[in-house]
Amino acid sequence: MSEDVHTLVGAWALDAVDADERARVERHLDACASCAQEAAELRETVARLADVTVAEPPARLRENVLAQVRRTRQEAPAARPGEAPAPGPVADLRRGPHRSRRSPRLRLALGAAALAVAAAFAGVFATWAVMQQPAGEGERIAAVLEAADAEVSYQEAEGGGRVTVITSEALDQGVVVVADLAAPGPDRSYQVWLVEEAGQVSAGVMDPGDSSATMLVEGLGDTLLVGVTNEPAGGSAEPTLPMVADVALPA
Amino acid sequence: MFDKGAEAHRQDQPRLSVVAGAGPDTAEALLHRTALGEDDAFAALYDLMSGRVYGLCLRIVRDPAQAEEVAQEVLVEVWRTATRFDEHRGSAAAWITTIAHRRAVDRVRSAQAAGDRERRAAAESAEPEYDSVAETAAGRLEHRQVRRCLKTLTELQRQAVTLAYYGGHTYRQVASLLDAAVPTVKSRIRDGLIKLRDCLEVSR
Repeated sequence: MSEDVHTLVGAWALDAVDADERARVERHLDACASCAQEAAELRETVARLADVTVAEPPARLRENVLAQVRRTRQEAPAARPGEAPAPGPVADLRRGPHRSRRSPRLRLALGAAALAVAAAFAGVFATWAVMQQPAGEGERIAAVLEAADAEVSYQEAEGGGRVTVITSEALDQGVVVVADLAAPGPDRSYQVWLVEEAGQVSAGVMDPGDSSATMLVEGLGDTLLVGVTNEPAGGSAEPTLPMVADVALPA
Repeated sequence: MFDKGAEAHRQDQPRLSVVAGAGPDTAEALLHRTALGEDDAFAALYDLMSGRVYGLCLRIVRDPAQAEEVAQEVLVEVWRTATRFDEHRGSAAAWITTIAHRRAVDRVRSAQAAGDRERRAAAESAEPEYDSVAETAAGRLEHRQVRRCLKTLTELQRQAVTLAYYGGHTYRQVASLLDAAVPTVKSRIRDGLIKLRDCLEVSR
């Protein structure tokens, strides 16, 4: 059986299988790392076959596509079962076989969160986390956004702007998006705090003068609130009250 | 940007670096920026990849109006799902090409499902298709490598792979077109792709 499925990997890479076979192959790939490697290579190979079919599309296609894109919201980074064709082994392999179906309401919320993250990225383009690990951080942020249990909380900040927190209890991680706060003032920095029953710890200090940033927070533990304060450049050991924002996390 | 705050200043400070990735205009970089909602990046990605998407759709669907429709669906899907692309799992070109192929094949198969007679007609018209593909390939210098590598396959391997890919047929349909046993075709397809992979030096 397994051998049978494995032989199908070639036909699968060519989309020359039916839906049942496709599902069987993809389950097999989920369980077998070396098979997944071969499958990825064959997909890459197959894509080269399209080198010979390149053709100039009609000029109006560009206008039409860009116009449709302007009114199309992007998905949160998660597969929607039963809908769009999965992009090869690529997206499927990283998720386990237990892909949970999200409620439409949550999906909507995540879409909004992803947009907020995108907005923050666009303005800032590097994150605290990326500074530490240039290679994997974007993915880990994406992993929080696509977590099956991701929840979104936000608050309009005092003086303008918004602080959005996306948390995954299962991952014990969160993404904090600080967007468009009022300028902190000369030689001042915004600082982010994780507040729990016992007190608070600093999660990070934004660069002096910055009013937008995105960060990954690991080890949320029993955090009740994510707070943002305005501090002297470089941050403080204790938060200076009042908070600019205090986003309550889901219980 | 963030750093760790006063407490962490005692430790080694990480250096600021821009988001990882290759040059600013690679398909990967553009797709990554597309995932962040940047219209400009998507427009540049369109310019880079639309010929590939449209050409493949046209090859499989054959009808230019339908190919245009499918290509539009594909490109909008690239925008919509760019957030799911993971460059550690494959190239952007392969990801986009895979979506295009899947969509084009879906279009052809649902048309086939509409009528058995229609399907048989489509299947019968598929074999000469390989020749025209080979001709197109032969005419383009930049595609020499793919053409050369296709030639390293056995006749059955090459026919099976190209009928499946450019014809949009399942391996069972390919078997019936080539009048060969289904398990044989299945394994020839895999063997053929492995040979192609080694010849094209695809590695990840």
